[in-house]
Amino acid sequence: MNILETRAITHDFSGLQVLLDVNLEVKAGERHAIIGPNGAGKTTLFNVITGTYRPSEGEVFFKGKDITGFKPHKLVRLGMGRSFQITSTFSRMTAFQNIRMGILSKRGIRFNMFRILDKMQDVTAETDEVLKRINLDGERNVPAGMLSYGKSRSLEISMAMATDPELVMLDEPTAGMSKDETHHAVELIRRLTEGKTLVIIEHDMDVVFSLADRITVLHLGTILASGAPADIRADQAVKDAYLGEMEV
Amino acid sequence: MDPTTAMYVAQGIHGLAYGMVLFLVASGLTLIFGMMGILNLAHASFFMLAAYFCYQALTITGNFWLALLLAPVAAALLGILVERFLLRKVHAFGHIGELILTIGVSLVILEGVKVFWGTESLPLRVPPILQGLVSIGGLDYPIYRLFVIGLALVVLGIMALLLYKTRLGMVVRAAVSDANMVNALGVNVPLVFMFVFGVGTWMAGVAGVAIAPILTVFPGLADQMGMDAFIVVVTGGLGSIARAFLVSIIFGLLSSYGVQFVSTLAPVLMFIFMAIVLVIKPMGLFGERE
Amino acid sequence: MNKTQKWILWAVLLTILALYPIVFGIYYSNVFVTFAIFALFAVTLNLLLGYTGLLSFGHAMFFGTGGYGTAIALEHIEGLPLLPAVLIGVLAAVALALILCPIMVRVSGTAFAMLHLAFGQLMYVLALKLRVITGGEDGVGGFPIPPFSIPGILSIDMTNPLNFYYFAIAVLGLSIWFIWYFTKTPLGSVMVSVRDNDNRVAYMGFMVPQTKAIIYVLAAAFAGVAGSIYALFQNLIAAGDGFHILVSFAPIMMVMVGGIGSFFGPIMGAAIFGIIEELTSRYTERVELVMGLILILVIMFAPLGFLGFLRYIKERWFGKRPDMTTTEDVA
Repeated sequence: MNILETRAITHDFSGLQVLLDVNLEVKAGERHAIIGPNGAGKTTLFNVITGTYRPSEGEVFFKGKDITGFKPHKLVRLGMGRSFQITSTFSRMTAFQNIRMGILSKRGIRFNMFRILDKMQDVTAETDEVLKRINLDGERNVPAGMLSYGKSRSLEISMAMATDPELVMLDEPTAGMSKDETHHAVELIRRLTEGKTLVIIEHDMDVVFSLADRITVLHLGTILASGAPADIRADQAVKDAYLGEMEV
Repeated sequence: MDPTTAMYVAQGIHGLAYGMVLFLVASGLTLIFGMMGILNLAHASFFMLAAYFCYQALTITGNFWLALLLAPVAAALLGILVERFLLRKVHAFGHIGELILTIGVSLVILEGVKVFWGTESLPLRVPPILQGLVSIGGLDYPIYRLFVIGLALVVLGIMALLLYKTRLGMVVRAAVSDANMVNALGVNVPLVFMFVFGVGTWMAGVAGVAIAPILTVFPGLADQMGMDAFIVVVTGGLGSIARAFLVSIIFGLLSSYGVQFVSTLAPVLMFIFMAIVLVIKPMGLFGERE
Repeated sequence: MNKTQKWILWAVLLTILALYPIVFGIYYSNVFVTFAIFALFAVTLNLLLGYTGLLSFGHAMFFGTGGYGTAIALEHIEGLPLLPAVLIGVLAAVALALILCPIMVRVSGTAFAMLHLAFGQLMYVLALKLRVITGGEDGVGGFPIPPFSIPGILSIDMTNPLNFYYFAIAVLGLSIWFIWYFTKTPLGSVMVSVRDNDNRVAYMGFMVPQTKAIIYVLAAAFAGVAGSIYALFQNLIAAGDGFHILVSFAPIMMVMVGGIGSFFGPIMGAAIFGIIEELTSRYTERVELVMGLILILVIMFAPLGFLGFLRYIKERWFGKRPDMTTTEDVA
């Protein structure tokens, strides 16, 4: 069953065509990578799916439901979570407080103004558990803005998953990481997305081929190819357009 | 010419003169905002200060023309000092810090003026040549108001020359329409900021001197003009000089004819106009930038 | 701090507040009430400025509306009891906030600041011009101050300054405590995250405009409480002390001077301003000159305000690193 489907998505920014007739299909439980050269429209596709923009044309289906034009907060409640290419944490809040926001959201505590948050033991316990799982328990009380780059990226990824979504959308999670950090990040992603569906935008081909069950290649706003990693590797069109330059 | 028409024309001249003065203040405000992203809440204080400088210069020299020339320059120099030694220092702390700093500066200027000149209204006499009425085509026009309109046009001309005919002006215009451009153009940004701030306060200064003989010189000047200029800038959308001009003239006429027809509500008219504009377009009349 | 210490602290604080007028006399009690009114007012502004990152140049409109609401109600409704009169003022402020919030929750930064300056001035001009309702420049004054009464049990005369002191301190103190509690709740933490990164808050499943709206109305309501108590305290509310732009600037200055980074900074700021005003007004009429200079100095040299300065000293001289775990740190 497809957990996520886009049907004939077309999007333009005041005349500038960015996406053209994109039909993406993501099966429940798979790890799906979207690759493509810069400017191919990957992040725009993400933004259209996660509710940043309403597509100019076409529909988005999530778990069989038409979610075209839904606002981000609504999509989170339906079970979608996303991270950002440019780290977008709550910089002046501690790592603990950052993750706790996700836990609160997951528990549906959004407008409660009658209980003291620090005294909600179950929330604290669950947050600490998450911090431990992502190896940030040592940095529990450090403001997110003061974390090392690798750690802040880990936090960025984990925040997308703290709401316990069924579908996780990660936008270049390893961008700017060293080889070592990338390795850790991949392990973290693999661990955290166990049993979930993952859609990931990635430039690092090592990451793509080690993580993904399926790959979609986006080029100039359209899908060039979509299939198993081995098929993509063998695809001549993909080689010509993209992989060739990347020396895979 | 029947008296009703004469009255309309006279009110029109009043409105136009006030609108022009308002524009001199508002354009400086919008220029500084567009360039530096600072809403200078002390802007009208420099306007008021120039009026006091003019009074002082007139008292000492007895020459109105000299006072007219010197007072705005003195106000502008003070503005430059404020930019160089205060605003620039808090730039790193963000816009909220800058905004609040300008509140502090406006308080100090307002209170400082009271210390030096007291709280009384000081009359400012213009030379005889600018007094009285002139008759054109069977209608009487107050000479001083026509002079104000002319003066504003001259300043406007100087501004236009600066903005459109010099390289510096080109940089400023580019920066006002896109703040990120300044860095890309590879210019000495702090120097350009200082220049813009100086020119902005100078124009406010000219406006202060121009309006002083009409309204007399008193500490409340800043309040009144500051609010009007602020409304112009907000309604016109921040960072646009052309729209500031249009809105200034509309407001000048609105307040002038407003007093004529609905005298009690006249001060509210501008607010109502602004409120309507803002409710429809929160970024100002034609603006899209935040 | 453990439970016992906390109770002792509260007991000491309450004892000081209770004994204050007896020790210092009525004049300084009135100074203290003024301070407490502005402390609450500054705390409500800090809810917007410090916690949510929204700078308002028109917060006086809620203060003034609260004051006018109570004053006009007492002037026109015969036998209106005290607490309902305060409530009417608060509801008037809330109503104004509800009218404005559909526009205000959609803007931030300079646009938010300026819209408030504009609407604040509109309220000021309206208060001056709608003479029939507001009394113009003279304002609404001399209205009856009802006693604080529980029917059949007790009735306390509120025209007695000592009684009014206790009433005002109780209402204002409870309000400040309520706001403090609010900042500790889950919604309070959503509020801080909106300031840090409103985009991400939405992507974590929270409704940003609705959250902002609640905070906005809350800040307005308690600014209304401050204004209402102020009108009762002075037995007068006029455009000049209700809606004037300086009334909007005052809490901003208090927040900045006291320290934008904490809940108690604004209270400290209100105290500092109260003391400075008390001292300088003995020597000069130009109190605002001193205030303006202090404001400039603070922004230039201690942008985190008095509390930030204290923390810096502590760190510098006693080698104690600022405790990062405390949730009091909002900046």
